[in-house]
Amino acid sequence: MKEFAIINTRLPKVDAWAKATGDARYTDDLSMPNMLYGALLQSPLAHARIKSIDISRAKRLPGVKDVITAKEAGLIKYGVSPARYDETVFCDQKVRYIGDEIAAVAAIDLETALEAVSLIEVEYEELPILLDPFEAMKEGVIAIHDEFPNNICAEVHQEFGNVEEAFKECDYIRTDKFVNKKQDGAFIEPQSCIAFYDLNGNLTLTTSTQTVHYVQRTVAMVLGLPVGKVRVTKPCVGGGFGPKASANTIELASSILSMRTGRPVKMTFTREQVFQHSRARHQFWHELTTGVKKDGSLIALKNTCHMDGGAYSSFGIATVYYGGSLLGAPYKLPNMKYDGYRMYTNKPANGAQRGHGGVVARAAWEQQLDVIAEELGMDPLEMRLKNMMKRGDTTCNDFNMSSFGMEECLEAIRDGSGWKKKKGKLPKGKGIGVACGFFVSGAGFPIYRSETFHSTAMIKLSEDGGTINLYTAAADIGQGSDTILTMMAAEAIGVRYEDVRVLSGDTDFGVDLGAYSSRQTLMSGHAVKQAGEDVRDQVLEVLSRNFKIPVEDMDIKKGLIIFKKKKPDFSVLRSTYIKEHRGWVDPPVGDELTFKEAARVAYFEKGVVVGRGSYKPGDLGGKYKGAAVGTSPAYGCSAQVVEVTVDMETGKVTIDDMTDAHDCGFAINPTNIEGQMQGSLSMGVGEALFEEIKFDDKGRVVNPTLGEYRIPTALDMPNVNTIIIESNEPNGPWGAKEVGEGAIMPTIPAILNAIYDATGVRVRELPVTSERLFTLMKEQEKK
Amino acid sequence: MHLLPKFDFYEAYDMGEACKVLAEMKSEGKIIAGGTDIMVNMKKGLLSPKCLISLARIPGLSGIEPTSGGIAIGSNLIVSKLLEFDLIRKKYNLLSKAASVLGSPLIRNRATIGGNIVTARPAADLPPPLMAMGARVVLKSKGKERELALDDFLVGPGQTKIKSTEILVSIIVDEPPPFTGGDYIKLMHRNALEIAIVAVAVQITLDGPDGSIKNARVILSSVAPKAIHAVSAEKVLIGEKPTEKLFKKAAALASTDCTPITDIRGGAQYRCAMVETLTHRALSAALRQIKGK
Amino acid sequence: MKRIITLNVNEKEYEVAVAPNRTLAQVLREDLNLLGTKIGCDMGDCGACTVILDDRPVNSCLVLAVQANERKITTIEGVADGPHLHPVQQAFVEHGAIQCGFCSPGMILSAKSLLEKNSKPTEYEIREALSGNLCRCTGYQKIVEAVKAASQTMKK
Ligand SMILES: Cc1cc2nc3c(=O)[nH]c(=O)nc-3n(C[C@H](O)[C@H](O)[C@H](O)COP(=O)(O)OP(=O)(O)OC[C@H]3O[C@@H](n4cnc5c(N)ncnc54)[C@H](O)[C@@H]3O)c2cc1C
Ligand code: FES
Ligand code: FES
Repeated sequence: MKEFAIINTRLPKVDAWAKATGDARYTDDLSMPNMLYGALLQSPLAHARIKSIDISRAKRLPGVKDVITAKEAGLIKYGVSPARYDETVFCDQKVRYIGDEIAAVAAIDLETALEAVSLIEVEYEELPILLDPFEAMKEGVIAIHDEFPNNICAEVHQEFGNVEEAFKECDYIRTDKFVNKKQDGAFIEPQSCIAFYDLNGNLTLTTSTQTVHYVQRTVAMVLGLPVGKVRVTKPCVGGGFGPKASANTIELASSILSMRTGRPVKMTFTREQVFQHSRARHQFWHELTTGVKKDGSLIALKNTCHMDGGAYSSFGIATVYYGGSLLGAPYKLPNMKYDGYRMYTNKPANGAQRGHGGVVARAAWEQQLDVIAEELGMDPLEMRLKNMMKRGDTTCNDFNMSSFGMEECLEAIRDGSGWKKKKGKLPKGKGIGVACGFFVSGAGFPIYRSETFHSTAMIKLSEDGGTINLYTAAADIGQGSDTILTMMAAEAIGVRYEDVRVLSGDTDFGVDLGAYSSRQTLMSGHAVKQAGEDVRDQVLEVLSRNFKIPVEDMDIKKGLIIFKKKKPDFSVLRSTYIKEHRGWVDPPVGDELTFKEAARVAYFEKGVVVGRGSYKPGDLGGKYKGAAVGTSPAYGCSAQVVEVTVDMETGKVTIDDMTDAHDCGFAINPTNIEGQMQGSLSMGVGEALFEEIKFDDKGRVVNPTLGEYRIPTALDMPNVNTIIIESNEPNGPWGAKEVGEGAIMPTIPAILNAIYDATGVRVRELPVTSERLFTLMKEQEKK
Repeated sequence: MHLLPKFDFYEAYDMGEACKVLAEMKSEGKIIAGGTDIMVNMKKGLLSPKCLISLARIPGLSGIEPTSGGIAIGSNLIVSKLLEFDLIRKKYNLLSKAASVLGSPLIRNRATIGGNIVTARPAADLPPPLMAMGARVVLKSKGKERELALDDFLVGPGQTKIKSTEILVSIIVDEPPPFTGGDYIKLMHRNALEIAIVAVAVQITLDGPDGSIKNARVILSSVAPKAIHAVSAEKVLIGEKPTEKLFKKAAALASTDCTPITDIRGGAQYRCAMVETLTHRALSAALRQIKGK
Repeated sequence: MKRIITLNVNEKEYEVAVAPNRTLAQVLREDLNLLGTKIGCDMGDCGACTVILDDRPVNSCLVLAVQANERKITTIEGVADGPHLHPVQQAFVEHGAIQCGFCSPGMILSAKSLLEKNSKPTEYEIREALSGNLCRCTGYQKIVEAVKAASQTMKK
């Protein structure tokens, strides 16, 4: 096994000290001289025509500097995927959900801005409200967007193999339905931004985002500015999980307000606005028909999915594809058919959330597989093992398993959880369940069609050679990419962790598509590794010329130059360095030539020493329509065993134990990986047991608080036996691939399967509240 | 951020002063104790009093005093203290049990017992155990004082018999007689930061170590506009030997005593069923406590 | 009308003029520039705004600044001893208990407060003490491990 100095260790995160002491700054912590505060006017109605807007009273309020509506902001359409740009900064003719933005105000303080908002008068003509996507699809109902008369925002029809033919060969076929509820990202930091348009015509937007690059492009397009004039930068971000992965209204509104007033403008969501903006997990209705042979081999899957999209597309086009494409895998499945429909409704738009598009399909299918295993009299874990793909396999929809530690994952959780001792042997009220998961390690294509690099990196040495500055536009939103990329840079060059300073999350630092689809470790990692190696090579080449030693005979380790053969005399070099830096506190010492000195030599020769790296995935196969969604340079996989106790008299579920194994290719930092796994599982527990955005019949979110929208507390999460599996991904830097999203995949179905084991009840609607389970148990008793 | 509406703030240093200011404000002044309820309502725009009068600096409002046959709990006592005082934990453990599941530790460090009563949420955690223990509340206004059974004080959601000039000063609880046991069970979605789906408080007293039930109070919460007595359950318990069969019967009757609604936290039918389950469990726990098990 | 109040924050006295309708969280952040105190919900539901007020951790978004007049407040900025991290902070750093870090100031203050009252908490006591502080990133496990580790080092 290869030895590493930096990667594959548990170094603390680069930003942990700042975050532990309160020094870390998030967007809302920042302010600028002369800054104005913005506020939004949002629709109180779910569907209405705007007859008139009167901003005159608001404008006259002392302290108000600007009021803008669609008239001032323009009607350029934007969104996530260029195929479905369906939003404008402000509503023009119509409002489409409660919270839809109508106007914005900039004023000297928040109080004045809010008062001005209350003075804007809007006349509405109410329209019929569509809250149910199945209603919205019906003939003759009102169109939420004129361009989409059936309110079908997107549909997908795919077939791989021949499902109907394949069903004829099956010994057992069953159909099940499954539905979840609209979820929320529930990151603890509400979105916030500060826009400043300066006298030179440069816009700097500081914002709580996962994707500076996409926000830059959207803002430039909507404001009609050259991309180069728009700089988007993020300070610390307090979690994102998907909803912060695209441009939002406050980013656009504050930019426009700043352009018009010439002053910095800050806007921050309240928690209620976070819920209204949403862009989180869709509600999905899946109908799955699976056919198998007597021996348990999976033959065919028919998957029909309807999705409640909300009022706009957001990430929905990708979501509707992911709702189909992530199934099949991790199993060998030769035939698969998928029909997906995403409908517009008068609710906050749904978008992407951890495990984009795949979580509910996974929950539905993994539970169905459990039923099938039982019907066939097989152990569900063994049935999974039997069908598992291996490294080198390709799915029927053309995904290539270039590495695949799935068998290892299953064996690890089987042995780690004591599965064999427990399955089928627990008393009533206690249960154990298993499930598998599968996810992309970065989207194979950017959201807009382009040949763009997905990640670039630049490493620049300070002229004294002592500091290595890593520049990347990758976004650390808490998942730890700054740490991982710092470790990678240090490893690639051969220096110490503390010698590298990471500067990230800024469009000035390069192109990086950002923190979504679990891409940064692999993609940004590649770019950083390349940049680091470039720096290393440049420094060694200079040394080689100086000392007349071939590059191959040298190496850099822990900040020291290793001469594999004879060590040259570098005393002149050292004394020069020390003389030059007389009075400095850190003169190079010891018997070895330091990287610092070597870098100084390189500086003398080159002036600037810059290493460059860039990455885009190669040709990834899949030529069918929609192949862009789901193809990835690598795939992560995972398996979980969950143990529960069900209070048979109340229906309340307690998660007692979780065993989770995830194949991340190679662990750059095991502590971070475990953190991603445990965090994913807690989000899965929340979605399985509690989380649900509820609406009244007018389309209003009735629980827009973290009190009534329940994410797990410390008392709701058990400890997780967290097992890392490494499969050495050939397409990943040092063999690494994703962990951030895939880890959530098995959680919900493993819980559902455990609940069945405990109660004999199959729950096919989330969340499994005590009431839902109790009611189902009662129904079962009656039968 | 949610800005609070504008108001004036008055910090009283003794009861007389507080009563005077409250009287002067007519109904436009409001008491602020821990603020965990009133501030949320004000931020949501549901309330905007002209003046908030704080009781925090008034001496003697935040303690527990012995009375003949029981204790008087100062209205401004924070909920955390109900968990910390040995006396409460040992003799009035129903109350500390309810306190332990109120909100979160952070909330409990601000929320007061008085605030929990006056705010009169149908699902508030402290009224059920207090009613099960037969608590009374002491109300003061300028030159006047009156005492009311908590049963009578609570009227409905957000409604009590308090007058706009009155301040709740203390809660009087009698020491549970010998052979008494009780329990408080709160059914919640999460294990913290929860308002009850259903909660039940029970206190029963036997007339001897193996005797019959002399007194029984069964309080149901979150299943009616306010915490209520399960009247028919109480009736069937009193005078009988505490048996499993009796508890089952009482629990079933309790579920007919309530009139829950379906709301965001749970359905009416489920709530009725849970009243039965929790009542049975609470009665059994109460008996175990008496028997010292 | 503004009131002049005195806040004793992190053992320093501050005199500030505040309107009664401003919360302690607002005044700490906006007037005293103590930005380590976060606002996640502003309604008492998340604990990001936790500060220690007279020895008890509380939600500073539900405390009026005027209510804190003449009281002792510890914010996250007052936990470390100069450059030396408090054992709880050190353990959070070392055990990977911090991801996005938005909950961390509140978590650390709740944990510190617990360990000052109970130097040997059980796992349940730790989880209970942190149950008013929501974390969406970590699943709490590494936070709990960090608090356990800190209790060990603090005993020494
Ligand atoms: C996140 C969160 C979670 C919560 N969880 C729970 C829970 O699980 N269970 C629960 O029961 N409650 C819960 N609550 C509600 C609240 O914390 C409690 O009701 C608390 O006990 C209220 O006390 P307080 O001192 O904060 O009241 P305040 O908000 O100060 O006052 C509440 C009301 O009572 C009046 N009042 C207060 N004291 C007096 C007095 N002495 N005389 C006359 N009037 C008075 C006030 O004018 C006001 O109308 C929660 C609140 C929050 C924010
Ligand atoms: S911000 Fe105070 S509890 Fe959430
Ligand atoms: S670390 Fe992100 S919320 Fe806790």
